[in-house]
Amino acid sequence: MSRHLSFRDFDWPLITVSVLLCSLGILQIFSATHETVWRDAWWKQILWLALGLLVMWVATSVDYHALIHHVPLLYLAAVATLLAVFFFGKLVFGSRRWIPIGSFHFQASEFVKLVIILLVARYLTDVKGEILEGWDLVKLSGLVGVPMILVMLQPDLGTALTYLPILGAGCFLTGLRWRYLAAVGVLLAVLLPVGWYSNALWDYQKGRVESFLNPDSDPRGRGYQAIQSKIAVGAGGMWGKGVTRGTQTQLRFLPVPHTDFIFSAFAEEHGFAGVVFVLILYFVLLMQIIQNAQTAADRAGVYLCMGVAALLLFHILVNVGMVVGRMPVVGIPLPLLSYGGSNLLSTFLMLGLVNNVRLRRFVN
Amino acid sequence: MERPTRVYPIPARAEAIRRMTWLALVLLVWAGIIFARIVKLQVISHEKYAALAARQQRRLVTLPAPRGSLWDRNGQPLAMSAPVDSVFVNPLRLPDIQIAADILAPILSLDRAETFEKLQNALDNERGFLWIKRKISRTESERLRSLRLEWIEFQTESQRYYPKGSLAAHVLGAVDHEEKGNAGIEMALEKDLHGRAGIARLLTDVQRRGIESETSSEPVAGQDLTLTIDERIQFAAERDLKDAVEAHRCTSGSVVVMDPQTGEVLALASYPAFDPSKPPEPWMDGTERFNHAVSVPFEPGSVFKVITLAAALETTALTPETPINCGGGILRLPGRVIHEAKNGYGSLTMSQVLEKSSNIGAIQIGMKVGRENLLEYVKRFGFGTQSGLPLPAESGGVVRPIKRWGTTSLASIAMGHEVSATTVQLAQAVSVVANGGLLIKPRLVLRRARGGKPVADRSANPPKRALKAETAIAMRRMMERVVLHGTGSKARLDGWTSGGKTGSAQIFDLASKRYTHKYNASFMGFAPVTNPAIAVVVTLNGAAEFGGKLAAPVFRSVAMEALRVLDTPKDLPEQPEGEAKESIEAEENIEDDLAIAGLGAGASVLEDGVEDGPRVPNFRGKSMRAVVEEAAALGLPVLFDGSGTARVQAPVPGSVLRPGERIRVEFKR
Repeated sequence: MSRHLSFRDFDWPLITVSVLLCSLGILQIFSATHETVWRDAWWKQILWLALGLLVMWVATSVDYHALIHHVPLLYLAAVATLLAVFFFGKLVFGSRRWIPIGSFHFQASEFVKLVIILLVARYLTDVKGEILEGWDLVKLSGLVGVPMILVMLQPDLGTALTYLPILGAGCFLTGLRWRYLAAVGVLLAVLLPVGWYSNALWDYQKGRVESFLNPDSDPRGRGYQAIQSKIAVGAGGMWGKGVTRGTQTQLRFLPVPHTDFIFSAFAEEHGFAGVVFVLILYFVLLMQIIQNAQTAADRAGVYLCMGVAALLLFHILVNVGMVVGRMPVVGIPLPLLSYGGSNLLSTFLMLGLVNNVRLRRFVN
Repeated sequence: MERPTRVYPIPARAEAIRRMTWLALVLLVWAGIIFARIVKLQVISHEKYAALAARQQRRLVTLPAPRGSLWDRNGQPLAMSAPVDSVFVNPLRLPDIQIAADILAPILSLDRAETFEKLQNALDNERGFLWIKRKISRTESERLRSLRLEWIEFQTESQRYYPKGSLAAHVLGAVDHEEKGNAGIEMALEKDLHGRAGIARLLTDVQRRGIESETSSEPVAGQDLTLTIDERIQFAAERDLKDAVEAHRCTSGSVVVMDPQTGEVLALASYPAFDPSKPPEPWMDGTERFNHAVSVPFEPGSVFKVITLAAALETTALTPETPINCGGGILRLPGRVIHEAKNGYGSLTMSQVLEKSSNIGAIQIGMKVGRENLLEYVKRFGFGTQSGLPLPAESGGVVRPIKRWGTTSLASIAMGHEVSATTVQLAQAVSVVANGGLLIKPRLVLRRARGGKPVADRSANPPKRALKAETAIAMRRMMERVVLHGTGSKARLDGWTSGGKTGSAQIFDLASKRYTHKYNASFMGFAPVTNPAIAVVVTLNGAAEFGGKLAAPVFRSVAMEALRVLDTPKDLPEQPEGEAKESIEAEENIEDDLAIAGLGAGASVLEDGVEDGPRVPNFRGKSMRAVVEEAAALGLPVLFDGSGTARVQAPVPGSVLRPGERIRVEFKR
């Protein structure tokens, strides 16, 4: 198989767009943090980018079929890691998400995404029929549900929710009976209010939803981030205020302008023009991934690529939606742009998988 | 690399594409909603959000202009401002209000429980700003700052200092806690002293810390005023006035020392005095803030004869030597008989009429002058109009038009009744005689400067000629004789010649509508006689004895101190023995210095002087503090009753407060 690994055959548009997005991210991280305690973040992000490209190459070189083959092992390892985080994780801002490895805080839930993608691909390729039957659906949901609940308990609802689109995309791709879809809908409709009143959600999570529905009810408290973010985006206007000139960002009205709200800071400093450019880059990235899905050699390849696409799209829609006030404040980063090593590495691993599928598209 | 063990088939393509299209559509709608939102925020409503951003990032900060200083004529500081710290907190950002109260109360010597309660209240009402203590001392400020607690915040404010204590308090006035003048020059010249605050636009971060500032208008400093007051003369005037008022158990008094040639007021004293650095308290009735020299007109009595006689010299053929028939001590007027000096003076020269302060003589002379001429000269001497000093609540006194005169008004006015005047007006009048006939408006401000550069004073009032020079000189001689031979013998100075006139007017009691046996004892004079350097008027209100006996000695000591301070050359050899003898001889003359008041019932100008006097403000509905401050600002005496908000007041708002009357305010919860 090593013949397939022609460097020329790499998905260069995909890599170019990814590196371009990362560069814009690094510029924005620099701009937003250059006068704060985070002023080292931008060059750390450069290191993460370099490391990311390296792991992407690694993820490209290992045949994805081998990975799929070892899914049960990977899955057990993932659950074990999440349990370890649950018991030994580092407590930051009231939640346990990180395992400290040297000075780097390893966020296990980010890497579990990859395992979920592989799991869904493996499970669904094994399905015999033309359509996903009820029992399979329940079993798969259960398999995805275990790590998801562990992540929710950290508590990290945002990351836990990102596992859902992978599952959803896979099931949808395989084919579902309408009545299952309806059943899921009904189940959600029942579970939501029950969850709301039975303390399954933390107070701060409820607060975020409440303040999303009515941000002006508590403008200095829970609605604060959403309001400040909207102001920043709006203040950017057509052409933006320029790098390091965004006042919402520089005067620290905007919370975490280099991580979850980086898009807001970017929108303020680069305006509508910059926003459209970034969205086009994301569109190209997604189309590139979907194209790889279409040319994949087998079902597993399709599920892998589509799982990655669904996950990235979910991240983008939720994060940007949150920044402009169309989604509740859910703490998930914007892939490639936001500062954060774990997320960047897991994103590049996923892109590596996509590249992996591409390089092995010709069945011989 | 190991070969995969299984090959996975591709799902049915057509079916997959159909499903993907569905999914893509749903996602497209989702993305479309978000994109529409971005367009709305950044393109359509950009202005609105830019304004919202600016509103929370920009702060307009007023740059306070330093308040102007007040100096005496020799550059001694009388009032100046210095920056001090005030402490405030944002109760919503306090880590713990219990701890905050524990820290703040002892350092600022506040009551702990009270501080805690204030904080708790502010917290309950979600107030983001609370003054803990304003204008704290330097030690307090240093101790608080050394704690380095970020929630203790400081604001620089300006504190007014009066380095000479209560000296010249009635001239200077006082300021409130916002450093706005509420009495005296501080109030009257508030605009000049205050300057204009500048405005800076401040770019602030989320913690309201200033990042960048841009001054949009520079503060304009207040003017520094050099007053005409001489601190040393002022001190002497206040000391001697206080001694006299207290020794003779008068109710109040005032002294004005003026340079008759320029109108510069060298001293202006009113008793009782107050400390301008202490705010008025509810238990004070405000009378100590009353400036008796400018705000309280009184019937001047015999000192007014100077005006009658000066008018006679100019409008009739009378000369100082012309004999006046003062008869046998009885003068019959329509409805009224005037008695004088047991058996009367017989025939007196006009000069002697003044010396002995003969009422009958003054009336005779007044009759010759006639109504129109007398009124004309009363006005020429500046009576009936405010002197224009930059002091609040100045009274112009009362001079009635002829059509409101009664049958005996001419006689009354000739000896100083049915008119009222302030001490400052009398100083202005005696200056006319002293300076050779010019009416010169008194001045309190000598020079103005801003930041060390002189500022032109546009308010210059050209002197007006009131008397011919020879008339003024003749009057000076006659007034010198009053001191040498007449009722003013106690006003004789050691080493300088002097001239003057005594006066004692009975005080009209508004309640009983009768004249009492209390007097406004006054003396107005000048020295030295040939080229007067000073004009001095002394008024003691509520005296039991006459002006010649009580006010003249005050004139003497104040005038001598002023002449010494001004280094005026002496024009008399000092002869202590002769003087002692003469003053004994003059003693009996003093007794007769009383203008007979009450020429007919209701003749007093004070009774129907409704068109004059301060108007009573409406205090109803105000807090006690507000009433105290407002009353102090207007210089009105107030009596307090009860507590809470003002409900009832007498007299009613808008009516005129008659001299000596107090506003009674009743407070209820």
